[in-house]
Amino acid sequence: MSHEHHDHHHPRPASAVELRAQALEALLAERGLVSTDAVDAVVTLYEQDVGPQNGAKVVARAWVDDAYRERLLTNANAAIAELGFGGIEGDNMIVVANTAGVHNMIVCTLCSCYPWPVLGLPPTWYKSSPYRARAVSEPRSVLSEFGVTLDDDVEIRIWDSSAEVRYLVLPMRPSGTEGWTQTELEAIITRDCMIGTALPTARESAAA
Amino acid sequence: MRRAYLEYANRDVDGVHDMGGMDGFGPVLEPGGEVAYTERWEPRVFAIHMVEELEDLGAGPGARAVREEMPAADYLAASYYQRWLFSVERRLERSGVIAPGEVEEMVRRLAQGEAAPTHRDAAMTKRIQARMATVHPIDPPPDTVRFAPGQRVRVKRMDPAGHTRCPRYVRGVVGVVETVRGADRLPDRATYGLETPREPVYSVAFASRELWGPSDEGVWTVALDLWESYLEAP
Repeated sequence: MSHEHHDHHHPRPASAVELRAQALEALLAERGLVSTDAVDAVVTLYEQDVGPQNGAKVVARAWVDDAYRERLLTNANAAIAELGFGGIEGDNMIVVANTAGVHNMIVCTLCSCYPWPVLGLPPTWYKSSPYRARAVSEPRSVLSEFGVTLDDDVEIRIWDSSAEVRYLVLPMRPSGTEGWTQTELEAIITRDCMIGTALPTARESAAA
Repeated sequence: MRRAYLEYANRDVDGVHDMGGMDGFGPVLEPGGEVAYTERWEPRVFAIHMVEELEDLGAGPGARAVREEMPAADYLAASYYQRWLFSVERRLERSGVIAPGEVEEMVRRLAQGEAAPTHRDAAMTKRIQARMATVHPIDPPPDTVRFAPGQRVRVKRMDPAGHTRCPRYVRGVVGVVETVRGADRLPDRATYGLETPREPVYSVAFASRELWGPSDEGVWTVALDLWESYLEAP
């Protein structure tokens, strides 16, 4: 996945912003200030190693191990580190648990704060104006776009990431997953379940 | 250096980035919105931003504050990583690493068919990788804090003259302290390089009725992490 490789496969003419981005990287490389390898490494990190598969491991473990769940809810940084995850933008992790009466959802209305070590880089919709605007003022309408309808008596709690705390939603384990292995469980724990805009269901898994 | 920071400290950035509660942006889910990016330059700008931050190549206000300096119409017109390109360029200009016009000059050179220069620095790459995998938690809260869990607080009615992490939609609103997250420097000052002590950061829960009045959606709760400087007794 070298830098040069990407430059030679444009299906269309490069946009002005793309040319500008390439020029900035070239300029900093020419000055010896930014290692091309370091740029490659950061890109690769979030494309291959760090993403929602990490968060899914955390959630699946919490579903099968009550003591771990307890540690996760009381000291998320340490519990997440137990599984080998952690890093920048995960400096102050808080895990919020969904229950029969409470549904949690995360947003950053001011920019795009997101728990990178467990979810990777945020999807475009999470960073979009409509999500940032509406998650706090019409959460049920936003959830309905994602196909999620909650009972009227469920309290929705929106966590606006306004400081350096980063949130992860611990969804409820769905019925029909009794006896599943952790690996089978991980397969139904999607990114959106851990943002709070989706609910895991047993039927999405090949194990069902 | 300090003067260079202060130059920007009175910039009015109660800007359009502060989107909580705004109407008129349309649906959340649009085609292509499921992925973090679609073009190869986007994660590379993200990565250049990380290297700039971690290698301390930039100067002036922090990247968030710089993106908030974008004129409102430009901010809305720009794609997400275009905003990051804007902030990394401004921070590199303010440190003197690049001069205005130099990026354009490189655009011209590359357009003329010149191969893009690359640079290999294994030690830098290792440093970046190590830092990406390190956590730096905020300090624990002090033993005594002004507001205790369960206490009602009001967010100050204010119009900060620069970067802030106190969104407009909670200003003037009464909420309840749920917990003390820790102690951290006030970003309103810290991002400009100004001295500011670590102060308590509280998780404050707001009832939707307090924020928005009655709604067809019923009631819900919005919780934010707010620095003590933003809060007062109700």
